[in-house]
Amino acid sequence: MFFTFIKLNWKSFFRGRSVGSNIITKIFKWFWLLYFAFITPLLGIITYKVLKEDLGVEDPFSYLNKNLIYVFAYWIVIRYFIQPIPVVSIKPLLLTPISKSKIVRYSLGKSVFSFFNLIAFFYLIPLTFVLIDEGYQAYQLLGWNLTIIAFVYITNYLNFILNNNDKLLYSIGLTLGGIKIFEYYSIFDFTIYSEAFFYLFYSNPIFTVIPWAFLIWTYFYVFKYFKNGLYIDLGLKKKTKEAKSEDFSWLNRFGKTAIFLKNDLRLIKRSKRARSTVFAGIFFLFYGFIFYFQEDIWGDFMTFFGYLFATGGFLFMFGSFVPSWDSQYYSLMMCQNIEYKEYIKSKWSLVVIGTAISTLLACFIYSFLGLDAVFAVLAGGLYNMGINGYLTLWAGAFTKTPIDLDSSKNAFGDTKAFNMKTLLISLPQMALPIVLFSIGNYYYSSLIGCLIVGIVGVLGILLKEQVFNLIIKAYKTEKYSTLKAYNKN
Amino acid sequence: MIILKNITKKYSKQTVLDITDLSIPVGQTFGLVGNNGAGKTTMFSCLLDLIKPSTGTVLNNDVEVLKSEKWKSFTSAFLDDTFLIGYLMPEEYFYFIGELRGLKQKEVDEFLNKFEDFFHGEILGGKKYLRDLSKGNQKKVGVVAALLGEPKVVILDEPFANLDPSTQIRLKQILKDLSKNKETTILVSSHDIQDVTEVCERIVLLEKGKIIKDIETNPKTLKELEAYFKG
Repeated sequence: MFFTFIKLNWKSFFRGRSVGSNIITKIFKWFWLLYFAFITPLLGIITYKVLKEDLGVEDPFSYLNKNLIYVFAYWIVIRYFIQPIPVVSIKPLLLTPISKSKIVRYSLGKSVFSFFNLIAFFYLIPLTFVLIDEGYQAYQLLGWNLTIIAFVYITNYLNFILNNNDKLLYSIGLTLGGIKIFEYYSIFDFTIYSEAFFYLFYSNPIFTVIPWAFLIWTYFYVFKYFKNGLYIDLGLKKKTKEAKSEDFSWLNRFGKTAIFLKNDLRLIKRSKRARSTVFAGIFFLFYGFIFYFQEDIWGDFMTFFGYLFATGGFLFMFGSFVPSWDSQYYSLMMCQNIEYKEYIKSKWSLVVIGTAISTLLACFIYSFLGLDAVFAVLAGGLYNMGINGYLTLWAGAFTKTPIDLDSSKNAFGDTKAFNMKTLLISLPQMALPIVLFSIGNYYYSSLIGCLIVGIVGVLGILLKEQVFNLIIKAYKTEKYSTLKAYNKN
Repeated sequence: MIILKNITKKYSKQTVLDITDLSIPVGQTFGLVGNNGAGKTTMFSCLLDLIKPSTGTVLNNDVEVLKSEKWKSFTSAFLDDTFLIGYLMPEEYFYFIGELRGLKQKEVDEFLNKFEDFFHGEILGGKKYLRDLSKGNQKKVGVVAALLGEPKVVILDEPFANLDPSTQIRLKQILKDLSKNKETTILVSSHDIQDVTEVCERIVLLEKGKIIKDIETNPKTLKELEAYFKG
């Protein structure tokens, strides 16, 4: 039976609409998995030594126990955002002679081998050997390890429920935030309890029965939860929200562009997919810090890259999927009383407005790093608006992946908003401005470097009409194959 | 006047559409019938420049569809649910289409008033997005939106499918009323030959992309078509 399901999964992958890009994503995924599978045992080996010698922690084992509470907290968050829930397309199976329990058991069973669980073993096994080497008791460590594994799997099954229950997610988030705040203001230190709690399983390994009992209970709870949900009007039902009308008439001053802007705003507000993409774009705002704090290692042109990227979050995350956002009703757009040019222009305006807002926010965020940072942000913003805006739109003519707006999957990963492909496309767009900046920076100063990049951006904005004619040509020739690709959805 | 000349559409070796000469005069109510795969939707898609024909030209009121976008200002269509924007509420959708056709919200409201019966209280003022409406109600929204802004050419693919009997009858009446002014050209396709014979003045029967019959509707038409489809 298990193999029947696996066969189904296999077919759904290879007979999917976009096998090619699926395979590429898979390869990337495997690359990262292998990378982690390699690096994690290494981490396990060096943890003890680094804690003791480099960080001067007196008792690394109790330090680990102290922080385990946070590890699990973050683990839940990471799982929620990244770990995909294994979904068998369940509806057609309901009428087959496969029992409901089997369907659920398969879904839950498959997740046992999820990367997010196995990685724990990769870390724990080498760590345990190091600990034994340091004089800890092997038998006692076994109890400790089993406990951690139990908690890893408890979070695994918790994730199943969290993905279906926003309220629970928010309450867990609030609790965690609360714990952190309590600790920060030293009102109450949870880590002491975390230390005592996890140490208990080392000193009395037999107690590990308790978390395991809890794990088994969680499994059956989730099992029941899912089995009860296997009705088309319960768990398999699409969630619907009460609709609220939104006017946005203040946008009307933008003329014909406003008609589309209003819709795009509604799209971002109402489609989970679009919303999470925009949120992902907001994360980029802080990208500049990564390189700022490592300037000695990367050099100042990478710092500039960081600022440039920070202003481009919306552009790269949302803009790269123009016109795919309209894929579900592209034929409608193509038949309406509007010329192609107007349509593309409105999309461009949206991207520019988004980038302008990102630039302003970034200016504000980086202002305390000094004027240099602000200039770099402004230059990067102008360049993103003036050049990269066009490039992204132009590339959009050839991106023919339809987007399922109604899918309520979460924010990262392959069928999700965070797309490896988009990142790859956007990287070359970064090369030219960095070269320009470096030239100015090398011969004169970073200010001149910024100025050059900024001026190129402004020139780009001024050449709008000419560039649009080129972009529209690409869109017009690609129109029919785009429609064909979208209609397959 | 809509003219299709030497229109063919080929996918690798298979010809799905092959129309040598078809002209539809202004104001005609034109029905297209045929079994699955006869090429009905393909023909409509060619008219709307959604599919590029392998050969031939399409003229829509003197505008060559492949070369100019001017036909968009007087043509409207509802082919399938790719003509709906799922995350909008029905009102917002009508306003959006209305705005593109140069209508103010108030004018759209006045227009929608006429369809109160047709909507049967299930469309306007509800708290649902289009994506959450039933298939039948979605179709109602799409068809009415295609009539917004007095288009000269209206193209509807399978407008009667998925509708309940009362709505079917009302829709037929709406189309008949619309055809009375003799200015709007209406193109309708359907699997239901009775519906088409009731509404359309002229019926064209497609099979494997070719025109098999081209009939002025008369009392015998239904019998004739039934005889054909019985095989």
